Amino acid sequence: MKNNSIIGIYKDEDVFLEAIDELLANNIRIYDVFSPFPLHGIWEKLKLKTRMPYATFIYGAIGTASVFAFLYWTSVVNYPLKFGGKPLNTLSFIIIMFVLTIFVGTLFTFLTYFTIEKMYPGKKVKLPEPRTTSDRFAILIEKKPEMDEKELEKITGLLEKTGAIEIKEQEVDY
Amino acid sequence: MYNTNVRGILIQGNKTYSDVTRDILKPLDDKVPLWWWITVFLATGALLWGVWGVYYTIATGIGVWGLNNNVAWGWAIINFVWWIGIGHAGTAFSIFLLILRQKWRSTINRAAEAMTIFAVMAAGLFPLIHMGRIWDGFFIFPYWNTRGPLWDNFNSPLFWDVTAISTYFMASFVFWYVGMIPDFATIRDRTTSKIKKKVYGFFSFGWLGNARGWLRFETTALLLGGMAAPLVVSVHSIVSMDFSVSVVPGWHTTIFPPYFVIGAIFSGFGMVLTLMIIMRKIYKFQDYVTDNHLDAITRILTFISLIMGTAYLTELFTAWYSGSEYELFTFMKNRVTGDYTFAYWTMLTCNAIIPQLFWFKKVRKNITLVFIISLFINVGMWFERYVIVVTSLSKDFLPATWATYSPTITEISIYVGTLGLFILGVMLFFRFVPTIAIAEVKGILKETSTTKPSEDEK
Repeated sequence: MKNNSIIGIYKDEDVFLEAIDELLANNIRIYDVFSPFPLHGIWEKLKLKTRMPYATFIYGAIGTASVFAFLYWTSVVNYPLKFGGKPLNTLSFIIIMFVLTIFVGTLFTFLTYFTIEKMYPGKKVKLPEPRTTSDRFAILIEKKPEMDEKELEKITGLLEKTGAIEIKEQEVDY
Repeated sequence: MYNTNVRGILIQGNKTYSDVTRDILKPLDDKVPLWWWITVFLATGALLWGVWGVYYTIATGIGVWGLNNNVAWGWAIINFVWWIGIGHAGTAFSIFLLILRQKWRSTINRAAEAMTIFAVMAAGLFPLIHMGRIWDGFFIFPYWNTRGPLWDNFNSPLFWDVTAISTYFMASFVFWYVGMIPDFATIRDRTTSKIKKKVYGFFSFGWLGNARGWLRFETTALLLGGMAAPLVVSVHSIVSMDFSVSVVPGWHTTIFPPYFVIGAIFSGFGMVLTLMIIMRKIYKFQDYVTDNHLDAITRILTFISLIMGTAYLTELFTAWYSGSEYELFTFMKNRVTGDYTFAYWTMLTCNAIIPQLFWFKKVRKNITLVFIISLFINVGMWFERYVIVVTSLSKDFLPATWATYSPTITEISIYVGTLGLFILGVMLFFRFVPTIAIAEVKGILKETSTTKPSEDEK
């Protein structure tokens, strides 16, 4: 088996966050980090961003427009039927539009989430360290072929220095 | 950053991260206790009785209920509104507190959301059965048909209800499920049982717990929550419009939407309190659902109870101030006094007066008393819906058509059946799903307890 990555495992979130700072300061590229719960400082450090809120806004806007189009078409164009003395194109459409905007927004937001995360029922994954879903934090660094002994030693040394309780090399699918 | 310790310690017992995982998953790992089987047995019995009631109603017709020309909405609508109200707590709880960044939500939200799902399921059954011809149920959807095509009446609150409740169910379910994925992954990676690994692995959707995954997870949760928050308000407003859009005395008031929304949150929090006390007792979760949590809920209930009291008084005042003799008759002669005095005063006592005992710290700290008061709230809120639905319909503008209403055994059986459905759902939830959001508890562990969570011996 080819060991293509170095994994540093930590058990304290504060030590872990400092370790990430230290590694980044030394220009080491962190491929990914794993934690049992969301660590809010990490996203800025690793410069991660998500555009999901924009997507949700677009879904909502499309939802509002298409629901209104449907209501208008059915009530005014296709079968104009007056009742209760109300105009055909009534204000009470707002209620249905409001609720169905949320419907469309919610449905497509979570579908988008699963799509971009490539998650689906029954998907099999192999975590670099299975305990990261319980009580461990892990830093995954890709071991590139061009890295020489010296560089690898530097990475391992840094991981050790920053308080990793375990450092291992293993095969990870990228 | 604004930081206050008003809630006290939220997780007691100097837990480490692995302690949290182990403690919360203990009910799933342990042998199934006897009380669980007994409860499931009883709940299934109740559910089967309800299934009989539904079958009998559909096979024979709505005439087997105690309804008459005047009181055309009886227990079915009372129970529908009651269940929807209870269902409100989960979302209200987890979403409003999520948006307000209240840390104490973390141990309660999962159970509250589960409660929402089962309560909304129970609620949704009633209008469906009430249609009478359930096989024509698809008429509620606007579909291309051969009658014109004749579309639904989009001005009808009943149609709004269909959209609101189906949206609410979908949104609550999605929010609940997405929140559970990391915890299913925890079980997947921890368990030694092959079957569990397969099943929870299937439901964990290949969760990794990497930085980008958590970022998207948190964003999705916030987006879904942000969209569901106005939904909480709109769903019960729309339910109230089923009543207030009519011209029936006692229903035709503008206070209805806020009054119903607050009432729903009130009954829902009452039910959350009932369930949390039971849950922390049987699973010994006192370290997670602390006295501080219960204290926070009771404080909220005190406040909402005051709003309820104000709403009741406002209704009476408006009836008098409107100068409409029908309004005045409904409130003064048919609620405060008259045939339904018992229901009215039960409602008032249970909702507006008894919860005021929470002002006293001694009461708030006495869990048995808190539990009893939470039951009173559940009962009181049921009577509120009874008062609203039955009194207004029983005696309307034409005295010649006045009628009284009492439920038949069929209606009672359907109600008991939905209770069975709810309890069965909660029992399955207790057994197969982590009842407390593990990842979220770990997230607040360092800030809200005195412990050093990483100091484990292994």
